[in-house]
Amino acid sequence: MSDGQPPFEDVDWRELTGYERHAACLIAARVGDMKALDALVADLTPLIWYVARGQGLDRTTAEDVVQTVWLTLLRNLHSVAEPRALANWLIITTRREASRIRGGRDRVDPLPDDAMELLPSAEGLPEVETLRSDRDRILWRAFGQLPYECQELLRLTVLAGRAEYDYVAEKLRMPRGSIGPKRGRCIKRLRGYLDEEGGMS
Amino acid sequence: MNPTERPSGRPPAGEESALELGLPAEDKRLLAELAALLELADPLPDDLVVRTRFAMELDDLDYEVATWQRDDQLVGVRGTAAPNTITFTVGDLTVMVSLAPAANGNRFDGWLVPGGPHRIEVRVDGHEPATTSADEGGRFALQEVPKGITQIVVHLAEQSGQRARTVVTPTIVL
Repeated sequence: MSDGQPPFEDVDWRELTGYERHAACLIAARVGDMKALDALVADLTPLIWYVARGQGLDRTTAEDVVQTVWLTLLRNLHSVAEPRALANWLIITTRREASRIRGGRDRVDPLPDDAMELLPSAEGLPEVETLRSDRDRILWRAFGQLPYECQELLRLTVLAGRAEYDYVAEKLRMPRGSIGPKRGRCIKRLRGYLDEEGGMS
Repeated sequence: MNPTERPSGRPPAGEESALELGLPAEDKRLLAELAALLELADPLPDDLVVRTRFAMELDDLDYEVATWQRDDQLVGVRGTAAPNTITFTVGDLTVMVSLAPAANGNRFDGWLVPGGPHRIEVRVDGHEPATTSADEGGRFALQEVPKGITQIVVHLAEQSGQRARTVVTPTIVL
């Protein structure tokens, strides 16, 4: 359904999914349909968030970047050349913004420790929960040691596993480039760090 | 997937996913585990969509987006304590605002560099915008700004060699 060229200009975006929905929402937003813009923000904010976090930004900075990317889109509503590739435009804009923010700064600590605070404490929890938490901590530390490129790729891969993000899966499935082998290497590195951290991979 | 339903740290066995990338089963298991962990440890902030929509409710779409200067040392503690001073920049413009508690919100004492008679608008979700103008030195004050999801909009006055510009910030919760 994503291969043809449906006349999305004539179709209500509410009835669409994936690329067609993004394109129809963008086109509707251009003529002032705020509901369509709201729908885009709800649909695609998780994608921008994952990319920003995968680029090594802490949570607070990632929140700023998500909003900056949307404000940049709003200012450029009419100049996005390919509405069907909006998700791609957002990913590229997020990477560019993340790299601008990081620029001049020393490489950020690759261990995003701040998110660990959100993990439930092991205190007062049944032993099974404690184990789970230990395992989660080990996996989280291992993941945090990966290069940003790997963190982003694995986050996108994970996101693609959710049905509403089938367009990301589509993109990741593309034979172009070396996504497959690259992902394989990232997973291998993750296993390596897991072993070092003493977790079974 | 609800992570609290996982009985242990083991990946959800045999879980079906929309993801079919020709990965070996053990890789899929590790990724499923990672998916659950990300949802638990690094969720999308609850209010981010609402804040983003508020940030985008702008009349004039010819603006530049400013960057909040984050003190790295504060990373991780933000959200538990509101900052005393906030700073944002765009191009050669820097705006610093110091906050002091007021009866129904915060008093804003701000300073723009380079200075000039610029107009400052503070938008707080659910309230009328508070506006003021800076003096020639770039100083401005607002006696009482309600707390909440906040966005600052600066309308830079036209000055010698500089055209009028509008600068907007991402929202911040004050």
